[in-house]
Amino acid sequence: MTTSKKESLNPIAQQCLQSLIGIWLGFEKQLNRTEIIRKLQQGVLTQSDYQTLLLNLRQQVIEGSRWISRAASSFDRDFSDIRSIVIGHAKEEHKDYQMLEKDFVAAGGEIADIQSASKNIGSEALHGYMMHKSSEANPVGLIGAMWIIEGLGEKMANEWAGRIDELLDLPQSATQFMQYHGENDDSHMEKLYAMLNRVCTSEAVTEEITTTAKVVARLYALQLDVIDYE
Amino acid sequence: MQAYINYTGSFLPGEPVDNNDIENHLGLVNGKSSRLKHKILKANGIKTRHYAIDSQQKTLYLNQQLAAKAAENCLDRAAINPEKIKLLSVATSQGDLVLPGFGSQVQAELGMQDVELFSSHGICSCSMMALKNAANLIRLGEHKRALVVASEMPSRLFKASRYEACAKAVDFNAEFLRWMLSDGAGALLLEDTPKPGGVKIEWQRSFSHADTLPVCMSVGMPKGSTNPEAGATWQDFSTYTEAEEAGALLLRQDVRLLDNIVKLGVEGFLRLLEEQLVAIDEIDHVLCHYSSDHFRGKIFELLKDSGSMVPEEKWYTNLYTRGNTGCASIFIMLDEFLKTQDYQSGDKIFCMVPESGRFNTAYMLLTVN
Repeated sequence: MTTSKKESLNPIAQQCLQSLIGIWLGFEKQLNRTEIIRKLQQGVLTQSDYQTLLLNLRQQVIEGSRWISRAASSFDRDFSDIRSIVIGHAKEEHKDYQMLEKDFVAAGGEIADIQSASKNIGSEALHGYMMHKSSEANPVGLIGAMWIIEGLGEKMANEWAGRIDELLDLPQSATQFMQYHGENDDSHMEKLYAMLNRVCTSEAVTEEITTTAKVVARLYALQLDVIDYE
Repeated sequence: MQAYINYTGSFLPGEPVDNNDIENHLGLVNGKSSRLKHKILKANGIKTRHYAIDSQQKTLYLNQQLAAKAAENCLDRAAINPEKIKLLSVATSQGDLVLPGFGSQVQAELGMQDVELFSSHGICSCSMMALKNAANLIRLGEHKRALVVASEMPSRLFKASRYEACAKAVDFNAEFLRWMLSDGAGALLLEDTPKPGGVKIEWQRSFSHADTLPVCMSVGMPKGSTNPEAGATWQDFSTYTEAEEAGALLLRQDVRLLDNIVKLGVEGFLRLLEEQLVAIDEIDHVLCHYSSDHFRGKIFELLKDSGSMVPEEKWYTNLYTRGNTGCASIFIMLDEFLKTQDYQSGDKIFCMVPESGRFNTAYMLLTVN
């Protein structure tokens, strides 16, 4: 399968992309309503807040490579081209969490603290849902999940990382994890467009993709919303 | 009952002022030309604008006079005397007086009698609020006619002396709008029956996002504040001199937040498409109040990505020649569009006003009578 430009999508894929962009923009608003991101937006995020953010992100990042790997194995021979892309993706990102841990230490955290932390309840819900979807046969809806997670990578790299470094003013950057996700964006997005073009053959598929994107968006926002939840 | 915009008018004070002439009107800060000017003007693409301040930095009009002149321009075309109108709905970001409401002052300027009054306060989208109020009162049958006026005179905030009074509080965010905004007023006459050359207001919708983002454009906070705090707004300083020194009387834009307006503007449009209030194919003309050419490109990019682009040749703006006149812009744009462009009965005009104050996006669909 060759990569596609967004201009050459089939009409159903184009409609799906339109819905995905709408879902993404709504998700950005949900993120902005969470306490931790409001602190960032208003420039009052502290070093301790940032540590808490990384601590709460890490468990889901580690688990992320698990659902991607499982999703790859759930695509049958008819979707072997999709499976190849998903395997490549799993390989690229399965050690992301190590970068995140280094950032945590650079921001003044103790490595033992982040490694021993448990998932917050939002991460539990998100991980449970992702593992469930990944176990279904030919889980094309996960393209919707990847849309949200790729978008987040881009947002972290382009909007959050620089702002965090600026606010924390540490001797060395503590945002390598967030910055890294901006580097491969273009090729990741092209792969996503290609997958959309490939699988969007009916409105039912579009529905599956957009529903999955909505759920993942809501659960991801929940994950940030329940930081410090007692 | 339906509401129709049957006549429009506008008033832009003085001659058009080109980019080289701006500082003759607003003054040179500490006798020096701005270093940021060219960069900001290049990004916004504005070539000429109008000021109610002459080239000797003398103020020539009140904001309420600009409003009244636009209203008179509109009513002259309709050949209707102001006393025939019993609903006056006005908008501005800042009247000449802190109190009373701007509507009272505009009424007095126009000599209107026994009117029902509505003053809308905000930034770019507050004219859409004033318009919706008037249109709805016509739809309810409470009024047969309404005069809606939007007027802005930000130039007084941009006089060089304002920046000299608070040198330490001047940064990019404080200077940005000096090269973006200018003066002008627009007026619309609404009626409950259609007239040739007018337009029917099909619907108006708006979405405010103040809960999701901090303040982006403001007057009233000292330099460095992102949200107002009790005890630290312009009215809390012991004297207004101290407030001014702290930069709390400067008009600021938090430029870092500005890209959000593009996203939220497009998000609202996608929502309207999903609700089937409008379809891309039925739109014949788009009038969008983007504050700067820089944002035109960004809006197009996102619309194209989402497959919701209305072909570029359908977009009309007079931003580059009339300037960004805040809440008056959309009325001034509609006025010039209806007077100078080609359109036919039944054409659909989609209007869009994304406001960056604290992120309110307003939309409207019109059909040519």
